[in-house]
Amino acid sequence: MTARINLMIRLALRNLLRQVRRSILTALALIIGGALLMFSVSLGDGTHEDWIESAVRMGSGHIALQAPGFYQSRKIDDRLSEQARRAAEEALRSLEVARHVVNAVPRLTTDGLASSPNGARPAQIMGVDPVAEVGYSILDDKLAEGRYLESDDRLAAYVGTGLAEALQLRVGARLVVTAQDSDGEIAGQLVRVVGIFKSGVPEIDQAVIHIPLTTAGSWLGVGDDITTLAVLLDSSYRMSEVTSVLRRLLAGPIGDGELALLGWREAMPELDAAVKVDNLGNYMFQGVTFGIIALAIVNTILMAVLHRRREFGLLQAMGLSPRETGALVLIEGVILTALSGLVGIGLGIFVTWLFWRNGLDISFTWDADWSFSGVVLDPIIVPMFRLSRIAQGLVFILFIGAIASLYPAYRAARIDVAEAMKFDR
Amino acid sequence: MIGPWWRIGWRNLGRNRRRTLIAAAGLALGYFAVVVMVGLMAGLTAEMIENGTGLLTGQLQIHALDYRPDRSIYRTIGGDDGTDVARLLREVITDTAVAGAAPRVYAGGLVSSGEATTAGILMGVDPNREPGVSRILRSVVRGAVPANGQSQILIGTEMARQLDADVGDTVIVVAPAADGSMGNDLFTVSGVFRSGMPELDGSYVFVPIGSLQQLIALSPGRVHEIAASTTDPWLAPIAAGRLAAEFSTSGLTLEVEPWTRLRPEMLDYARLVEAWDYFVIGIVFAIAVFGVANTMLMATFERRREVAVMLALGATPAKIVLSILSEALALGVISLIAGVAITLPILVWWHTAPPDLSWLYGDFTMFGALIRPVLRVEYKPAVAVLTGVALLLTALIAALYPAARAARMLPADTLSGI
Repeated sequence: MTARINLMIRLALRNLLRQVRRSILTALALIIGGALLMFSVSLGDGTHEDWIESAVRMGSGHIALQAPGFYQSRKIDDRLSEQARRAAEEALRSLEVARHVVNAVPRLTTDGLASSPNGARPAQIMGVDPVAEVGYSILDDKLAEGRYLESDDRLAAYVGTGLAEALQLRVGARLVVTAQDSDGEIAGQLVRVVGIFKSGVPEIDQAVIHIPLTTAGSWLGVGDDITTLAVLLDSSYRMSEVTSVLRRLLAGPIGDGELALLGWREAMPELDAAVKVDNLGNYMFQGVTFGIIALAIVNTILMAVLHRRREFGLLQAMGLSPRETGALVLIEGVILTALSGLVGIGLGIFVTWLFWRNGLDISFTWDADWSFSGVVLDPIIVPMFRLSRIAQGLVFILFIGAIASLYPAYRAARIDVAEAMKFDR
Repeated sequence: MIGPWWRIGWRNLGRNRRRTLIAAAGLALGYFAVVVMVGLMAGLTAEMIENGTGLLTGQLQIHALDYRPDRSIYRTIGGDDGTDVARLLREVITDTAVAGAAPRVYAGGLVSSGEATTAGILMGVDPNREPGVSRILRSVVRGAVPANGQSQILIGTEMARQLDADVGDTVIVVAPAADGSMGNDLFTVSGVFRSGMPELDGSYVFVPIGSLQQLIALSPGRVHEIAASTTDPWLAPIAAGRLAAEFSTSGLTLEVEPWTRLRPEMLDYARLVEAWDYFVIGIVFAIAVFGVANTMLMATFERRREVAVMLALGATPAKIVLSILSEALALGVISLIAGVAITLPILVWWHTAPPDLSWLYGDFTMFGALIRPVLRVEYKPAVAVLTGVALLLTALIAALYPAARAARMLPADTLSGI
C-alpha cells in the first residue's frame, strides 16, 4: 500500500515537472494570492493590535479587576474590597501571570460633573497614581499644554482639549468636579488644571479628567480604596489565557461576588465589533480572490487532464484503478498548491517584513484625526506576524487546492480506457 | 459587419464549453465581488453619514458666529436680544434642499432622583419640529415625548438605570443659568429613549425648548442653534452656501455649517473609501487575468495545428490575433452578462432587505456615528459600469500573450509535428 502511494507521489511529481510552464502558470496565481493573503493579514492584525493597545491604555486595560457591580453602576459604592484587592495583587505577582503582565495600575473612577464659571459638562473622573500611570497610560504622551500629574500634586487635574474648550479652561484655571461620595452625598472638589491632553478620540477628550488618587480618595471619602485594578498585558492574544489563570488563582482566597474580571472584549464591545467587522471585510476579500484563483486552477488542471486522456487510459490499461487515477490528479493538485502556497506565504511575509517592518505610513490619505469605537487611528501600520496565521493561511490554500482538484480528478477517474487509447490527435 | 475572424473566435468558445463556462464563472465572480464589495463599503459610509448626521446633529447647523467651539450658553443667535425664531425657521425651510428645521437650546446640568445624581447635557427641543431634523425623539422605548409647555423630560436608558428613575417619576434638574444664578426645577420623566450611542443614552436629556429657556433664564427669542436636515446629505454644503449668502444680504451675522465642515473626518473617510473602490477593482481583476490567460493559452495551444494551417493558407498573423482577441472579447461579454445577471438580483435583495449580522457582532461606532450590525449595500451605478469595462479589458489583456504566441508560430515546424 505504502509502495503504491510512494509510486503515485513520484508519478505526480514527474507529471508536474514535465509541464513546467503549465505548472508555473497555475502556481503563479496561487503564489500571488498567498503573498497578498499574508500581507493583508499581518497588516490587519498589526492594525487591530494597535487599536486594542491604544484603547486599553486609555481605558481600563486588557483585563480590569473590579467589584462585580461596577461595570454596570459606575458608582463609588461598588469598589474593590480591601481583601479582594490584596488577593488580586497577590495573584498578579504569581509567576504564571507576571510574565505576561506589563503593568497594573490602581484607579478610582467615578462619573460626575465638571464645572467652571463658563459652564458644566458631564465627565469621567479618574483618580490615578501619577507615577504608575506614566508607565501605563498613553494619555500623558498626548500632552497638548502644561504637564502631566506628578507624584506630589494634590489639587491638580489633567483634562482633555474638548472639555477644556467647552469650559474655557487654560493651564492654571480652576474647575470644580462634583460627584456622589461614599455616603451618597453630592461632593464638590476644587482642582487646578496642570495640563491639557489631546488624544484625538472625541469621547475621551470631552470627558476624561485625571486627578491624583489620594485627592480622589479624600474627596469621595473612600480613603485608600480603589474601584479598578487595570492590567496591561504584553499582547491582546494573552487575554483569555491570563484571565483563566487569574480566575483559578483567585477562586481560593476570595469568595464569589467580590471580584469580577472584565476582559477588553466585554469592557469595549464596540471595539470588539469594529475588529470583527474589519476582519470580516478582510476575509470576504480573501474569499473572493481565492474563489477566482480556485476557478483558474480548476480550469488549468481540467485542461491538463483532458490533454492527458491517452496517458490516463494507458495507466488504467496497465492496472491503475479509476480511483487511483483520480487520486493521482488530486495528489498533483495538492502538491502544486502546497508548494505554491508555501512560496506565496514566504514571499508575502518576506516582502512585508522587508519593506514595512517599521510600519507602513498611510498618513497621506487623511489629515484630520480619525477615530472610531473609542480609538484613534494611527497612520503608521506596523505589521504583526503570528505563527497561527501562517498555519491558517497554509491550511486555507491547501483546502482551496484540494477542492479545485476534485472535479478534474473525478473526470480523470471516469475515463473510458478503450476510447482514450483510440484517441489520437 | 461580423467578419469570419470574429466568427472563428466565437465558435472556438463552443469547442470546449466546460472550459469556457469555468473561465466565465471566474470573471463573473470577479464582477459580482467587486460590485457587491464596493456597494458594502458605500453602505457603511452611508450608514455612518446618515446616523452621524441624522440621529441628532442634523445635516446643517446655524449658530451665532462665536458660539462654536466654546458653546457658551450666552452666545445665542442674535446676541442677548435674541431673534425672531419663527421667521428664521421659515427662511431656512424655504431653501429647496432643506427638508426640516428646528430650534435648539443647550445647557449642562445635574439630574437627581432620590439618592442618585448624574450629570447631563440638557437639550431644549421643539417636540413638533425636531422629528423633521433628527431621529432622536423617535427612539423612545418607553413612555412618550415631552410636550411643549410642560415640565417634562426625556432621558436615555442608561441614565434611567443610573438614576433608577422611570416614566412618571419626578426628578430635580439643576443647571447654571444665563443670569448667573443656579436654575433648578422639578421635572416629570415623560419617556425613556435608547439610541444605541452610549454617550447619548447616558448623558443627554431632552426638555421642551420653552421649559429649558425658563430654567436657564433665557427669553423665548434666544436659541443657540437652528438645526436643519436636507433631502440628501450630499446637498448640505450647497444649501449651507445658499443660506449663508441669504443671511448676509438680510444683515444677519450667522455661521451656517454643513456636516462636511462640522465633521470633516467623515468626509475624509467617504473620499478614502471611493479611492479604495479602484484598488479593489485593480486587485480582483489582476488576479482574474491569470485565470483567463491560462485558459486562453491552453485553448490556443490545443489549436496550434489549426492555426498553422490557417497561416499556411495565407492568413496574416494580424488576423490570427484578431480571432483570438475576439474570442476573449466574446468570453468577456458572456461573463459580463452572467455577472450582471447574478449581481443585480442579489444587490436589489440586499439593498431592500439588508441581512442581519447581529449574531456576529454588535453595534459599533465610527467617527461618533452608530453603525448597526446589518449588511447594508448601496447602489453605485458608475462603479458597476466601470467594473464591466474593467472585466472586458481584463479578458483582452489576458488574451494578448496567447495571441502573440499563436501569431508568431512557424507553420512548417508545427505541421511537421515538432
